Amino acid sequence: MRLPVRANRSRRRNRGGGSRGQGLFVASALTPLMLYMVFWTLFPMIWAMLLSFFEYAPTRVGGPLLGLGGDNPFVGLGHFANMLSTSPEAQKFRTSLKTTLMFAFLVLPLNLAITIPLAVAIEAVKSRLKTVFRFIYFLPTVTSSVGVALIWGYLYHPQRGLFNMILKTVGLSPQIWLSNPRAFYFGVPLALWAIIFTYLWQDMGYNLVIFIAALQGIPKDFREAAVVDGANIWQVFWRVTLPLLRPTLLFVCVMTMLSSFQVFDIIQVMTENGRPQDQARVLVLDIYLSAFRFQRMGWAGAEALILFLVVLIVTVVQMRLLRTQWEY
Amino acid sequence: MSKRMLFGLLALVLILSLAACGQPAPVEEPAPAEEAEGEEQIELRFWMHQNPAFIAANEEIIKRFEAEHPNVTIKLESFEYDLFIQTLQTSMPAGTEGDIMEMFGSWVCSYADRLAEMPESVLSYPEAKEQFYAAPLDGYYCNGKLYGLPNEFNIENGAVLVNPAMYEAAGLDYPPTWGSMTDLLSDAQQLAQSDGDVMNVSGFHFVSGDGLAFQFLAGILQRGGEYWKADGSGMDFNTPEAKETLQDMKSWVDQGVTDAFLFNGESNWVGDSFFSNQVAIGFIGPWIVPVGLEEYTDMEFDYLPIPNYAGDKHYFAADAGWGKLVSPNCEHPEMAWEFVKFATTNADNAKFWNIGTGTVPALKSVAADPTLLEETPWVEASLQVLDYGSYVGPLPDRDLFWYDIVYPHILGALQETETIDEALDAIDTESNAMFD
Repeated sequence: MRLPVRANRSRRRNRGGGSRGQGLFVASALTPLMLYMVFWTLFPMIWAMLLSFFEYAPTRVGGPLLGLGGDNPFVGLGHFANMLSTSPEAQKFRTSLKTTLMFAFLVLPLNLAITIPLAVAIEAVKSRLKTVFRFIYFLPTVTSSVGVALIWGYLYHPQRGLFNMILKTVGLSPQIWLSNPRAFYFGVPLALWAIIFTYLWQDMGYNLVIFIAALQGIPKDFREAAVVDGANIWQVFWRVTLPLLRPTLLFVCVMTMLSSFQVFDIIQVMTENGRPQDQARVLVLDIYLSAFRFQRMGWAGAEALILFLVVLIVTVVQMRLLRTQWEY
Repeated sequence: MSKRMLFGLLALVLILSLAACGQPAPVEEPAPAEEAEGEEQIELRFWMHQNPAFIAANEEIIKRFEAEHPNVTIKLESFEYDLFIQTLQTSMPAGTEGDIMEMFGSWVCSYADRLAEMPESVLSYPEAKEQFYAAPLDGYYCNGKLYGLPNEFNIENGAVLVNPAMYEAAGLDYPPTWGSMTDLLSDAQQLAQSDGDVMNVSGFHFVSGDGLAFQFLAGILQRGGEYWKADGSGMDFNTPEAKETLQDMKSWVDQGVTDAFLFNGESNWVGDSFFSNQVAIGFIGPWIVPVGLEEYTDMEFDYLPIPNYAGDKHYFAADAGWGKLVSPNCEHPEMAWEFVKFATTNADNAKFWNIGTGTVPALKSVAADPTLLEETPWVEASLQVLDYGSYVGPLPDRDLFWYDIVYPHILGALQETETIDEALDAIDTESNAMFD
């Protein structure tokens, strides 16, 4: 029996396997987001990349096309060549890049060293307590970064801060946490360590919740089988749990590195533009100052492009090292 | 409801949401001024940074102007300080900046391409020089053209905050009679306090982002030196006067009047730490005084003249001050310039503005007005040295010079992370790189 044509039309499927109405709905739902991404993410990225080939300041009247040319001349790869020179801005760029890499590569292992064991410990407690712990540890993550930076700035205060009060109480010398350029530990400035600990405190809740969810997803059979075979707690963690966390580890590592490379607000609030002596001056802060304080948007665009490439390379390397071909 | 209708309804909701998000919030139009017969209604936008005292002062000036010009409405729009700079930078290329803007004088030359030149019919530069002090006025004078007029003589030199209670507690005579910096430093040594190795009260806190550069340049000038090259093509800090000035500052720290690690621009900034009783004598501009009077009502303090660093005249460099300018995109430039002149050259208005904002006047007649001190007695110390001030000069980037070049290297010398010669070398090299 032939079906009515109208019924056929309503059930006609598109190539993706859904109906035409569903396709229309998907398109409608995605269009605003795509428009948003194009106008507020893609266009600014393209504009920043374009600016990196010009010596551009918005206060100068340039050529007729988007203000480029004229008093905002085309310099080609001049900014990138300058990054290798001995000019003051090049030295600040290299310092900022080094500080950013130091920050990111310290935050990641410290973050994992705290969150993975903590997640395992929380996963082992009763379900009611699990919720309480998750709430407590996730709370800093949803707190405003500026608020966190202000409060931790007070904790680090050299005369009135809590940390120095504790140090004095136990008979140790108080520290000038955020403004002593001569204090280094393990080759890292003390001011940077102070910011790292603040950042870890705020950020670890996010990874902790992810790891807890991942641990809950690992079938208990694997761990029970290992115990039956005689593995102790440490061996179960190291030989069974950790390898099975690899997919989650990849996600956490990539996301943590991405956010570490882009740290800005905590440093801007806790230090004055990355001081003392630029020891906490990260690349995003240098980009911000170059663009909006000193009106060198071409130079800032070039720095931003380099940051993008660095982040891209690090992300690709992580994905290569941590990707898995299996699932459970 | 069929699935098709449901999808269509959801799509419609999404599209309407997008349209709603794109709609600007409705702006309440101000009530139009009474239309004077035969006169065009003019609306001007006035842009400024957010500071309650400044906003209040400008609002009153606007009200006075509108009373005299019933066909004119001036809409004041204020922006948080950092956002103001960014807003100027993004709006100017788009031609959407305010018709009249209140900007800081040392920014003007870097924005000159985007500003309207003041017509000589409003006020010529020679005429302006007779009415205004050179230091604030020259910030608005770039490449032979005048772009606006100042309301404020921005001065950080000339006086310091002093805590009388600390003097009394230390058993020192008050008010102090400092004949020279040696006397001030002697007091400061006795006023400084420490808890073990940690200084918790600075005797003389002079290490701040703004203050260090002002003191450094003043020290050079008072020693008879210069920091500009003879041909004006750049700057020269490898001079005996610069070295002596920096050596002096270092010696202050070595004498124990302050701890450069604990009391600087980032840690225990002078404006905060003085009012929390951590500083006995603090180097900062007179603009802090109304802030202190308003926010620390229980605290007794004074603003007293500081001795010369050297020589017998208190020469110093100043970086202009807040003033008013006009956009080249303004549709009614004559009226805009009329307002600028009204706000800056009219002595009553200028005085009102200075009193309201707690700033030192740029207009000579206001500075000479004896009634000024009845309202703002603390500016007396600054008024005494105004004649010795000169404009800092045509720095390509004032903020870069002040905060990224001079301050960090002088601080480095005080903290001994660099030698005095290294600091001076770096300041010289980096400041001249600005001209490349």
